[in-house]
Amino acid sequence: MPPVVLTSLKWLFLALLYLFIARAVRVIHLDLVGTRAPRPAAGSGKRRHRGTPRTILVREPDQPAKPFPLRAEVVIGREDSCQVVLQDTYCSQMHARLFAREGAWFVEDLGSTNGTYLNRMKVTGPSPIADGDEVRVGKTLIEVRR
Amino acid sequence: MKPRSAELSLLILAGIIALAAFALVSFAREAAVPPGIAAHAALFAAGIAVVHVAVRRFAPRADPLLLPIAMLLAAFGYVMIRRLDPALGGPQLAWIGTGIAAFTATLALVRDHRSLERFRYSLMLLGIALLLLPLAPSIGRSVGGARLWVRVGTLNFQPAELAKVILATFLAGYLAQKREVMTIASMRIGPLELPAPRHFGPLILAWGLSLALIVWERDLGSSVLFFALFVVTLYVATARASYAGTGLALFAGGVWFTYHAFGHVQTRIAAWLDPWSRIEGAGFQIGQSVWALATGGISGTGLGRGHPGLIQPGRGATIPTDFIFSAIGEELGLLGTTAIALLFGLLVARGLRIALRSRDAFGTLLATGLTTIVGIQALLIMAGVSRLVPLTGITLPFVAYGGSSLLTNFVLVGLLIRMSDAEAVD
Repeated sequence: MPPVVLTSLKWLFLALLYLFIARAVRVIHLDLVGTRAPRPAAGSGKRRHRGTPRTILVREPDQPAKPFPLRAEVVIGREDSCQVVLQDTYCSQMHARLFAREGAWFVEDLGSTNGTYLNRMKVTGPSPIADGDEVRVGKTLIEVRR
Repeated sequence: MKPRSAELSLLILAGIIALAAFALVSFAREAAVPPGIAAHAALFAAGIAVVHVAVRRFAPRADPLLLPIAMLLAAFGYVMIRRLDPALGGPQLAWIGTGIAAFTATLALVRDHRSLERFRYSLMLLGIALLLLPLAPSIGRSVGGARLWVRVGTLNFQPAELAKVILATFLAGYLAQKREVMTIASMRIGPLELPAPRHFGPLILAWGLSLALIVWERDLGSSVLFFALFVVTLYVATARASYAGTGLALFAGGVWFTYHAFGHVQTRIAAWLDPWSRIEGAGFQIGQSVWALATGGISGTGLGRGHPGLIQPGRGATIPTDFIFSAIGEELGLLGTTAIALLFGLLVARGLRIALRSRDAFGTLLATGLTTIVGIQALLIMAGVSRLVPLTGITLPFVAYGGSSLLTNFVLVGLLIRMSDAEAVD
């Protein structure tokens, strides 16, 4: 077989090897961002009421949404001692904390592996939350409600 | 995409890559497609079918990447081995078959990884016995200066390979129990806060065992690997930097001691620092290995078109066991070796993810230990043949020739897959 054909085949083979790696990376990527959070219905997201939150709605992937009243401090995580116990494996054992100070509610990350997000922004310190906000821990979405 | 269908499509792609490699080698060397290609296509398909059905049956929610990566490395390694030495092709294929059987058996027998925790002390004794087995007078054998082999009948086996997985399991079980007491600082030396001296016992034992491997079996690679395994697992279990620091200090001490005490260690280091002035002697293999990589350049000579045989005309070590990474570098260049390194990187990333997601301490430590074994071995030999660190007789997991190592690595992947299945919730 002429060398030029062999050389082209070599490049084709290298391309195949990297195709495998690209597809493997794609599986990882889908794993991380696969389940997109359902967007709130049209209209409700437009006007934000900066009201004091009274409940949260916990949306775990592939599970029905569960409401949870906000009265005392709430710790969210995989550990049984948390007030909101999640199955989500992207969530840490004690992932985040919701707490009230002088009538306002805050969210705080508890040193989780994958971080806590408030309206798609990473939470670095205690951040105020209000009605209509979205908190994400792992793959779980938590809607803050009045 | 469902994990099993993602896994199957990657497995099929791996099979196609291995077949393409097979065809390219014969195009280059025999200028024709040999009749073996259909048989190989059937064999690869059978291997893919068996592992796919096994995972679907015994671990349907497992990680979809571990198995395709392992199978790609094994199949591509087989094609390279067959190209380097056709006589070794058959045995390697048989060992891959045995490995797949061991993988399936691991999934079928170990239904819950936590069941292994109970056997930790029996596993420790078994592991140490396996390590010392080559020293037994009638069955132990030396190959190339290292006394690593056991011969029973016509079967040669390297028990240290299996001991790696067994000792990783023991360590995970032991540390899952003891980590709390080992985390408490109760001793102070200057600025250092250290746990009570008796808790350093296992670390000292590991150090002694590693040194014993160098002294009596002349096995540098396994010695480094075992010690790294102990230190990494200990650090992950306790999150105390003092163990990692003490481990590194002990390692440095061990290196200093063995360097001054043993001629074969000095030879290795000298050949690493300057192979060119010893090119006719101790530096020959490593010098040729570096030449092979240099010849490969960016994209290599093409499969079957290089001369990796030059690494070793009759000098003891064989290319398919020790220098397969250089052979890949010569024929597929930097792009090919980078692809192999990336595959190991993905394997390690998935293994550590399993460790992070585990719900029990034993699972975390076991996954960490098993991943460390694969990662450190790949790193040591890839860095060894490219002269980044001194060369040690470690095999490139899944790729290099060697039954004991293949078998062990398939069992190891089986355990990781078992754990990842238990962790999946959706």
